[in-house]
Amino acid sequence: MGHHFQLAASLSYSLPKGFYLGNYKYALEISNIPRAFFNSVIVAFSTLTLEVALACPVAFAMGKLNFRFKNQLMSFFLMGMMIPTFVCLIPMFRIYNAAGLRNTYLALILPQVGFGLPLSIYMYTSFLDFIPNSLLEAAWIDGANAFQIFLKVVLPMMKNTTITVITFKFIYVWNEFTYANTFMTGKQMKTLPITLKDFAGEFGMVNWGATYAAITMAILPTLIVYFFLSKNVIEGMALGAVKS
Amino acid sequence: MRTGNKFTPWLFSLPALTVYIIIVLVPVIWTLGLSTVDWNGITKMSFTGLSNYRKMFKDPTFKAAVLNNLRFTLISTAYQYIIGLSMAILLNSITRGKNILKVIYFIPCIIATVALSQIFIKLLALEPKGVFNVVISALGFTPKSFLGNPSTSLVTLAVVDGYKYCGIYMVIFYSALVAVSQDVVEAAYIDGCGWFQQYRYIKIPMIRGVSTVVLVMLINGTLKSFEMPYILTNGGPGTSSEMAATYMYKSAFSSMRYGYSSAIAVFLLCECLIAVTLLRKFMPKGESE
Repeated sequence: MGHHFQLAASLSYSLPKGFYLGNYKYALEISNIPRAFFNSVIVAFSTLTLEVALACPVAFAMGKLNFRFKNQLMSFFLMGMMIPTFVCLIPMFRIYNAAGLRNTYLALILPQVGFGLPLSIYMYTSFLDFIPNSLLEAAWIDGANAFQIFLKVVLPMMKNTTITVITFKFIYVWNEFTYANTFMTGKQMKTLPITLKDFAGEFGMVNWGATYAAITMAILPTLIVYFFLSKNVIEGMALGAVKS
Repeated sequence: MRTGNKFTPWLFSLPALTVYIIIVLVPVIWTLGLSTVDWNGITKMSFTGLSNYRKMFKDPTFKAAVLNNLRFTLISTAYQYIIGLSMAILLNSITRGKNILKVIYFIPCIIATVALSQIFIKLLALEPKGVFNVVISALGFTPKSFLGNPSTSLVTLAVVDGYKYCGIYMVIFYSALVAVSQDVVEAAYIDGCGWFQQYRYIKIPMIRGVSTVVLVMLINGTLKSFEMPYILTNGGPGTSSEMAATYMYKSAFSSMRYGYSSAIAVFLLCECLIAVTLLRKFMPKGESE
């Protein structure tokens, strides 16, 4: 421990004295980080899956099917992007409390899906504009109904957009702080950002090495996703920012 | 495209619509209603009409928060606009390494606010001296506790916030600069236009539309800012970096004043809507992205 603190004290402005994985070991043992990591993964996976599953059909309906309230529906969804997320925090808190959803994964999945839907829908509908109607008409003439056209023709074509949506939304969901901070108070249910904040609060002043290890572990997944798919992430986030 | 069944589109839309209404619409309307009551979550709710709003406008902390918010918006917007534009111009002017620079400069955007805050708290600390203060001392200035000092906390917060997000605006400006028609620039070169002049007289005026959009985005975004102020300084020390959003959060979840904080939330919502509407009306419109 003595050697460890010595290292931490000089870390402020000197190069590390060599690879010291002990910080990582210490951080993993002493804190809730493994569990928090697991929680973040579950929330991210569920949120992204649900959002894509909900956004694709709506986008198809608005982009390719003809119905009367198409434009109003689109504006209705886009309106949601103007609303800052914390405006709804208090009622959500009450609703989730009453429904027994606080400290469950749903409390994080639902708001993120709900508020993320407008942007996803917008991205899918924009993409659908590029698919020529003639393709769909051909399938129509062959006797396919709307569901089959959606599943067999449109959905496979939306793969690229889906990848873009998933990659940049993953960054948002993984880093999400506000909802997790408000709805998750049980230690076992906290996600990575909250746990990181707690960890830094507890050990930040005392154990710089472990704190930095914890920070690195927290940002590693997003960095990995980013380095492999940076184009998608940048595109998606820039578009997301412009639209809101 | 025709549909056989009139209800098919609605079938496709129903799941998303239901989720959206329950999660977004209902709470917003509820918040509006909550802002007119006095409630601490335990005792009975009592309808108080607009008194929450009256209390709000007399509240010194609230007034300080709104003022801080405006100052924060000003500083952070200017920072992100200028740096974003400069970086975009730089990207546009170099011939190699564009992608690498773009990727590197965008990294702060994807790092969790929590993580970034921790890094900066350490960097700007006074005891033990963070890297930043060490450099400052070496240069002969007196080191300061940037985040712990009421007079510097807001500016520091604005700069850190700007640091995180300016990558997005760099990307946006860069896309716009790239889209400027090369013919005009080439014609100008033939007429003897230099590097600096091409930007001053041609490219920047031609991206005026995007500039406006960026400005709207920045002001809208910084007015609503919550995570960075909450995590980095938590409004402190004192109320020197309190934002409207953090004050709302604290009133709701620390002080349990649900009605009052809902009023603040509604105020924020209106403030953003008004700001965006005014900006869109008074700014010159070019081609939007």
